[in-house]
Parts: sequence; C-alpha cells; structure tokens
Amino acid sequence: MFTLLQIAARNLARNRKRTLLLGGAISVVTVLLVLLTALFNGTQASMLRNATTLSTGHVNVAGFYKITSGTAAPVVTEYKKLREIVEKETPEIQSLVVRGRGFGKLVSDVSSQVAVVSGIDIQQEAGFKNILEIVKGDSSRLVEPHSILIFEQTADRLELKIGDNVTISSQTFRGAANSIDCKVVAIAKPLGMFSSFFAYVPLDTLRELYSLDPSTAGGIQLYLKDWEKADQVATKLRTSLAKAGYRVMDHTEKPYWQKFDIVKREDWTGQKIDVTTWMDEDPFMKWTLFGFRALIVIVFMVLLAIIIIGVMNTLWMAIRERTREVGALRAIGMQRHTVLAMFVTEGALLAIISSTVGVVLGVAAAYGLNAAHLKMIKGFQMVLMSETVTLIVSPPTVLVSLLVIASVTTLGSILPAWRAARLQPVEAMHSSN
Amino acid sequence: MATPSATQPIVHLSNVDKDYQLGAVTVTALRQVSLEIAPGEFTVIAGPSGSGKTTLLNLIGCVDVATRGEVVVAGRDTGKLSEGDLTRLRLNALGFIFQSFNLVGVLDAFQNVEFPLLLQKQLNAVQRKERVMDLLQRVGIAEYAHHRPGELSGGQRQRVAIARALVTRPRIVLADEPTANLDSVTGNQILDLMQELNREGTTFLFSTHDPKVVSRAGRVIRLVDGRIQAEESVEQFQSSHA
Repeated sequence: MFTLLQIAARNLARNRKRTLLLGGAISVVTVLLVLLTALFNGTQASMLRNATTLSTGHVNVAGFYKITSGTAAPVVTEYKKLREIVEKETPEIQSLVVRGRGFGKLVSDVSSQVAVVSGIDIQQEAGFKNILEIVKGDSSRLVEPHSILIFEQTADRLELKIGDNVTISSQTFRGAANSIDCKVVAIAKPLGMFSSFFAYVPLDTLRELYSLDPSTAGGIQLYLKDWEKADQVATKLRTSLAKAGYRVMDHTEKPYWQKFDIVKREDWTGQKIDVTTWMDEDPFMKWTLFGFRALIVIVFMVLLAIIIIGVMNTLWMAIRERTREVGALRAIGMQRHTVLAMFVTEGALLAIISSTVGVVLGVAAAYGLNAAHLKMIKGFQMVLMSETVTLIVSPPTVLVSLLVIASVTTLGSILPAWRAARLQPVEAMHSSN
Repeated sequence: MATPSATQPIVHLSNVDKDYQLGAVTVTALRQVSLEIAPGEFTVIAGPSGSGKTTLLNLIGCVDVATRGEVVVAGRDTGKLSEGDLTRLRLNALGFIFQSFNLVGVLDAFQNVEFPLLLQKQLNAVQRKERVMDLLQRVGIAEYAHHRPGELSGGQRQRVAIARALVTRPRIVLADEPTANLDSVTGNQILDLMQELNREGTTFLFSTHDPKVVSRAGRVIRLVDGRIQAEESVEQFQSSHA
C-alpha cells in the first residue's frame, strides 16, 4: 500500500540522524562486499590467466606412456590424431596448444636448480606472449632450437644473462641420463611464487632431451570460451575419448607430477589418457581461491550480523517511540499483518536505498582503484600472481550482493515488526512511550 | 456482519466484570456492569479517576475483552470474536477519539482522516477524497487538509481526530476524555461540534470527570469503584453534585 510506503519514508526522514547512521553502515557494508567480490574476481581472473599460461589449460588432455609396468612417462603418442578428436568433440574450445612435459636440472657455470621444463611452440602460443612480461631478450626467439626462456629469479640464482648457455640434465623415459645445452633467449618477470620453478624450451628440444619421437607430446592444453565449464568439458571428453578407443584414467584431483608413483605401481603398459582441469593441475591456486572466497564469506557474515543487529535495534527504538501510535492504529482497525507490513516496509526501504547507494559507491570505488593501478605488496604479489590490484566488477555478482544485503537486512526487521504487530491495542494505547 | 435495526441498542452489556492480574493480586476494575446504548444517544460515562471509565470504554471499543459477562457491540458478541474479527468490528462499526489525539505524525490531516478508508478498501480514490474533504469541511479545518499534526493546534488536531473517527460512518463514536488536553474555549468548541454531529445522527459515548462536559450530555452513567452507581439525567447529576 502506497500509504505504508509513505509512512515508512517519512518516518525514516523524520529520524534523519538515526537513518543516516544505519543507512551509512549498510552502504559501507555493501561497498565492502562489492569491493571484496570485485577483488576476488580480479584475483581469480589474474591467477587463472597466469597459471593457465604457465602450466595448464582450462582442460588438459595428456596422459602417461608405460614402456614397462614399473615406468611412467608423461607423454601422449600420436598427439595429432588425439588433437583431431578433441577438436571435433569440444565446441567449447576457444584455443588449444600442444605442450611437452619435462622435469630436469638447470646447470649454469655457478649453480644449479631443478625446474619443470615445458616444451612449447611459441608460434602457437599467442596467450603466452601476451601474459609474460619479457624484461630481457625476446620470447619469439624460442623458435630457435636449443633456446630457453627463464624467469628473473632463476636468472639471478644461476647468474644467467641473455646469450649464456645453461645445461638441462634429465633422464630419458627409458632411464638413460641425458643432457642438452640451451641458450638463454628471454628472461621474464616472475608470475607468482612458483614461476621460478618453470623454464620453457622449444617442443622439439624437449623431445630431443627425452629422445622422443616427433609424434609425441606432453599433452594438449585446451582454453575454453567459458572456463567455468572446465569440469563439464573434462567429463564429456573422458567419455568421448573412451568411445574413440582410448584407455582413459579415472579422474583424480591431483597434478600430473603427483601421479607418477601411482601410475608406476599400476600393472599396465602402453598409453593411457588423463583428462584434467586447471583445478587438478594447480591445487595451490584452487585452495588459494577457496581460502579467499571463504574469507570473504566470513567477513561478509560478520558485517551482515552487525547490520542485522543494527536494523533490529533501530526498529526496536522506532517501535518503542511509536507504541501509542501502533495502539491507536490497531484501535481504529489496522490488522496485525498491516502493522507488520508497516515496520517491515520501513526496514526494507532503508535496506534497498542504502544498499543501492553502497553498490553505486562500491562500483565507482572499484573503477577508481583500477584507474589508480595500486601496487600489491610483495608477499601478495607472489601468492596472487599479480603486481597490481585488479578489481573486476561483475554485474551478476553486484546484483546478488544487492539482493542479499537488501533481503537479509529486511529480514532483520521482521522480528521487531512482528513484536509490534503482537502488541495489544489497549496496552499500546496506554503506553508511557 | 448482521446489521441490527435502528431501534436495537448499539451497545449491550450484561453483568460484565473485568479483572486485571497485577502479579499475584487480582484487581477488579468493573463489577456487574450492565447497560445499553441506543442509537442517537449522547452519553457520558462520568466518575472519578480509577472508577473504571476507560476500562468500560475499552470493552465497548473492543480493544479489550471482559473477564465475565456479555458485551454485544453492533449486534456482535465480542467475547466470541477472534482478534481479526474484533479488529474488523472496530474498523467498520466504531470510531475512536483519544485524549491525546493519537494522529499519525508523518501523515497530513487529509491522509490521517483517509487512513481508515484505506484499511477498509471499499472506496476508490475519488470517493475517498470526496468523503474526507466533506468531513474536514464539517469539522472546520478543510483549509488545513495538507498540514501535518505537528503544524496544527490542539483543537485542530482533535477536529482531525473527530473527522477520522467519523469517516467510516461508524455506529458509535467512543471518546476518552476528548477535551482533557484542550483549553476550555477549544474544549467547548469541540463539544459544540460533537453535539452538532450528534444532532445529525451520530451516537456518542464519552468518558469524563469534568462536570462542565457532563452538563452537555443527554444521559450520564456514573461509575464508582467499577460499579454503575447511577444512571441519571444531566439535571439529576448536577443536583446530586451541587
């Protein structure tokens, strides 16, 4: 009823100080929620973009090849045929790249370190070139045989500069020791705390290190139009590949390098395909995002509880002040449910206006912070894989924030409103308030 | 709701008691009260403070229920009605005028008077406006229709309250000490207005302990210690209080 809305609006306006205080608090909580969710979205996008550039696709079609039952090589044979099937079965793909998977020791004149060595075809890796910030050299030179791209931490530790040689020492999948010399052609800025463990060489160079046939690859990394469909696509691909005659491994939520021991213990030989998602291959990122999300939920719950208590207290005060008015309205024929509606309308109006103001301010603040290019503190840079604070305002998230805050705050007004509705008219009319 | 005929009493109380529980002590506010109010009466319930005037008005006004006895208002036995039905009876059959006006402070005079009609949901906006403005005219404050209670004097507020009490065309208007918060001149004007409305057919029942107000009544019900001590004419009341 319009009159109830009018009564609510005018009562809020009449108690201006109280309304501004509580409305301000609701707006601040909304601003915080918008900023936190935008920060989460930004961090998630940034981590996902960086991690899926370094070591995984949204979905990975890889696997193990066992020459004997006690060995395990992270290799797929006849990858071109596999790629054709994957491309045919997966319309969700935006792009894909073929990578080689390896692990070895990088040895310079002064020091050494172990590293995940990935074989890439730099001409196929548009995303790779976009994401990495090359501080020295040129990543395009990774087309040259026996070239290597390393990160600044590795270059510092091994005292390497552009043009220096580094030896990659490893074991072939048949168990023979092998090594190759590579020339440093590019040094990239670190991408998070794990980038120092990564190095990139041309795919053919990696095959040479492991004495592999050109028809082999480490795996195919798929980048989807909608990364949130990764699980769905992975499940579908497992079925499709099994139908196409491949032996497909059961899904295990582990990165490939944690599966060697399991695979080695299994009693089979030949090729098995393993379809994984970015969450399987990068559990650190998965748990970081989970922790971040949990933190947001906890902070939000605490803030919401404070707001609900504030709303309830404010309405208690309003009801105490207006007890005689409630009594008179009940006496002239206002039903209990209308009294309830009158006070809930007041709570809802305050909640809707304040949270809308909060959303507008929150979105403006998010754009402002992005424009300011705020530097993230070092520790966070390493964990969150980003140098600057990036906020992504997602309209559906903002809408959900608005609805949740407005609804929960309105719910907070129901108990005091219900108590007001339960007032006996005779007692309310003769109340001293 | 059954509509009683014009000759039937609007209010009928038979052997009504009202007890209040104050901790372990039971306080009887009304004892064996029986009375009838006929249409068109201008009746005063008189008596000293604590005599039970307000309690009696509350029972007739359906904002409270009797402990024992029968209270029939507009043909309905209030002891047998649910909370919702009592509220509907108050809305449709009764009008209230309070000592301290009890207007909704954030609504203007027009909206305060219109409010019971909105609760009734029977008239459209044009009909409501016509009826409200007609009443504001009759109580003499049409020019203040868009003033809020805070912008009106005590007398003007009570006129708004009278208009609000009459707007649903109730069978009876109950007024609890309607002039207690007004100066004597304004109080007299309000009583003039109520008498004028009574002459036009509205039944009034109000409580007071002010002899000047009692002198305006057509019938006086004298309450002492929760009992009806006497039902008398104004002349009888005045001679007994001379």
